[in-house]
Amino acid sequence: MKLAELAAPRQDYSYGFLDAFAKRELRRRMLKAIAIPGYQVTYASRELPIARGWGTGGLQVTLSLAGPDDVLKVIDQGADDSVNAANLRRFIARMTGVATTTDACRATIIQSRHRVPEERLRERQALVLQVPDPEPLRHVEPNMSRAREMHADADYALMWLSLYEQLVRFKQFIGGASYPVMVHQRYLMSPSPIPRWDTPTLHQAPHLTLLSAGREKRLYAVPPYTDVYPIEFADVHFRVESQADRVCANTGAAHKYMDEVPQPDGTSLFRLSDTGYAEKLIKRLRGETVKIGPTYYDSNGEFYKPGYLKSRDGQDIEL
Amino acid sequence: MVQIAMNAAEARMRDTFTALMWSLSYPGRIHILPAAGQVAFEVVAEALVDLETSFYTPHPEFARAIGQLGARMHPPQSALYQFYPTLCEDDLVTLRMAPVGTYAYPDASATLVLGCNFDEGQRLRLRGPGVDGAIHLTVGALPTAFWALRAEMIRYPLGWDVFLVMNDWIVGLPRTTQVEVF
Repeated sequence: MKLAELAAPRQDYSYGFLDAFAKRELRRRMLKAIAIPGYQVTYASRELPIARGWGTGGLQVTLSLAGPDDVLKVIDQGADDSVNAANLRRFIARMTGVATTTDACRATIIQSRHRVPEERLRERQALVLQVPDPEPLRHVEPNMSRAREMHADADYALMWLSLYEQLVRFKQFIGGASYPVMVHQRYLMSPSPIPRWDTPTLHQAPHLTLLSAGREKRLYAVPPYTDVYPIEFADVHFRVESQADRVCANTGAAHKYMDEVPQPDGTSLFRLSDTGYAEKLIKRLRGETVKIGPTYYDSNGEFYKPGYLKSRDGQDIEL
Repeated sequence: MVQIAMNAAEARMRDTFTALMWSLSYPGRIHILPAAGQVAFEVVAEALVDLETSFYTPHPEFARAIGQLGARMHPPQSALYQFYPTLCEDDLVTLRMAPVGTYAYPDASATLVLGCNFDEGQRLRLRGPGVDGAIHLTVGALPTAFWALRAEMIRYPLGWDVFLVMNDWIVGLPRTTQVEVF
């Protein structure tokens, strides 16, 4: 037997860029995160050819998950074509050989910075969310050790107090993106800075959501069909951002999450934040055949799980 | 242009991991491992353990095989990955010692990989995260007291996570899954 027969063929990089030990560790930690929904599992975040804070957490999860049979979509604030998304997509495709797409329905792995696609995700799709700050208790308890004790004790009294203070001072909840949620009635979780509009999409979803913070070295998960409820009072309800009276200037779509584009005359135009979905709508307007999946919010702005949202367009719904 | 190829070992570990991940994400559903029989346990070990982890198995031959991966054999009260290709009544004594984690670190808990039979045995109804309503599963070749022991050891978020293996079939049961035997 020759040494050359025993050695693996030379490669410039390991498959998926990460070495076998790194991938195995990440995979072990991902399994624990799925087993304990919402609990922040620590992991040894590796160095990558992008700076921490630019999606290294999501990238490590995607690299340890992806295989040649996967189809990858990468979005940044809903856009497939932003510099960050384009670079991450190209890097992952080079390192794993995955096919890429802008179609949320076709993708098996969707890595996202701060948005969930408008079209409903299905079973066996993995949504990988990049997380800058995984700790929902950070602004009420900056000490990480103490915050871990509070999670251990399910002691979230300070969060409720903070919510009450918001009502007293501002007469409404002022939390925007990253609105804290209770997962499986046990752990308070920061759903990464997705807008409140997207928060309900995590509840009893058929897909798997993995959230990873590379700089903070923590990952957590929401398994499919898991209860995810934003924290709210019985008489003052969580509200999503109102998209009423906003119509996409490119597609004519309404009641979807919009980007506001300021105009020189002081007015604003609105465009769909989800560019993959917008691309499909434009194709349909051109008369092309395109398969558009059902969306989380219908054309009247109703969320697809009746009764989950107790308010709409800034008004409480009579239940 | 960089060309990256997945070698056979990489492909096997990735296929095993995706089977583990989806089986834990959808408890009660059968997923397929890239190997069957005794080798199925070896590929699960290959995907999960290395020199950074500890394991336990009462089977000396299997222990030698896992040892070659660089993992350390620990006693059942501290091993984080425990393999029982066949689980008999006497093994429940050691299984009771398997770590369930702490409230600060519930992830410092055991993952159990157990051989079983899905053809005949006890009828189970599963509920919880990953299950859309309820799902039924038949599991045999496990001691009847196993399910009572599992229920006793789980004080969520503390508990074990279990993988059931028969040939190349694998089913995940995270600690969040409520198991009803009838």
